[in-house]
Amino acid sequence: MKSSDEKFVDEAKALFDESVERLDAATLSTLNRNRHAALERARGARLQWLRWAPATGIAAVVIVAVMLALPGNGVDTIPSATSDVDILLGEESIEMLEDLEFYVWLDMQEDDVG
Amino acid sequence: MSVETASFAVSWPGEQSTGTRALDQDQRLNRFLAEVERRALRIAEIGVRDRDEALDLVQDAMIKLASKYADRSSEEWAPLFYRILQNGVRDWHRRQAVRNRVMVWFGRARTDAEDYDPVASAPDPMGRTPDEELSTSQSMDSLASAVHALPARQREAFMLRTFEGLDVAGTAVAMGCSEGSVKTHYSRAIHSLRATLEET
Repeated sequence: MKSSDEKFVDEAKALFDESVERLDAATLSTLNRNRHAALERARGARLQWLRWAPATGIAAVVIVAVMLALPGNGVDTIPSATSDVDILLGEESIEMLEDLEFYVWLDMQEDDVG
Repeated sequence: MSVETASFAVSWPGEQSTGTRALDQDQRLNRFLAEVERRALRIAEIGVRDRDEALDLVQDAMIKLASKYADRSSEEWAPLFYRILQNGVRDWHRRQAVRNRVMVWFGRARTDAEDYDPVASAPDPMGRTPDEELSTSQSMDSLASAVHALPARQREAFMLRTFEGLDVAGTAVAMGCSEGSVKTHYSRAIHSLRATLEET
């Protein structure tokens, strides 16, 4: 920035500061009142939110508890990866696995009979 | 045991320290706002040229800062506060533009001629340079008129950098633009203001 610009900026700043100092008492009083009202309003808004926090927390806990307590809540059990390894390392014939659908069918028939 | 005593007896130390922290935060916010409110008022007043409107805009900015950003570090407050205030000023201008269009429809538009202040805008009879012009007791009005006449982004950059003393980074946050844009707007504002005040 050129020195003439800097001088201009300094003088503009000085003028502005002077105009701030010249603000009348009524305006200063209004500003003060408005500030306290603004802080009070903001504090009230925060407390309003906090007032609902315990109820929201309790409701969330109840919902989770009910979901856990319900039988067969629709969540599929993911088979463990170790069970696949057990099958592969097992001594049973691999042919049995090829006829797996047959054994499932057989199992269902036995259930029906039983 | 009274109700008050009972409620105090079951409060946790953690809650008390949270309460104390909130109180400290409120006090620091109060001090910050008390520090900036007068400059903010004058900046808003130059932007909208109406003290009552400027008072409302400053109070709205205070409420929004205290509601949404009280938990931010105090170093962030100034740019955030001025960003809220500048947004308020911009919204105010938009509303005024809509209102004027509606009034034009009813044939009662408020024109710039009504806002024109012949005393403030009159050329200086002494033929002083811009720097001399600024040094007189009347020059704030001339400066305020010239600043008000700037394009909005230049006006914001000039007021935030010069009047509020924000650095380039802080001004960029307050204006919601890059630091390069701030430098460009600021430089153009200074040249434009010098040219305007030289003409008068």
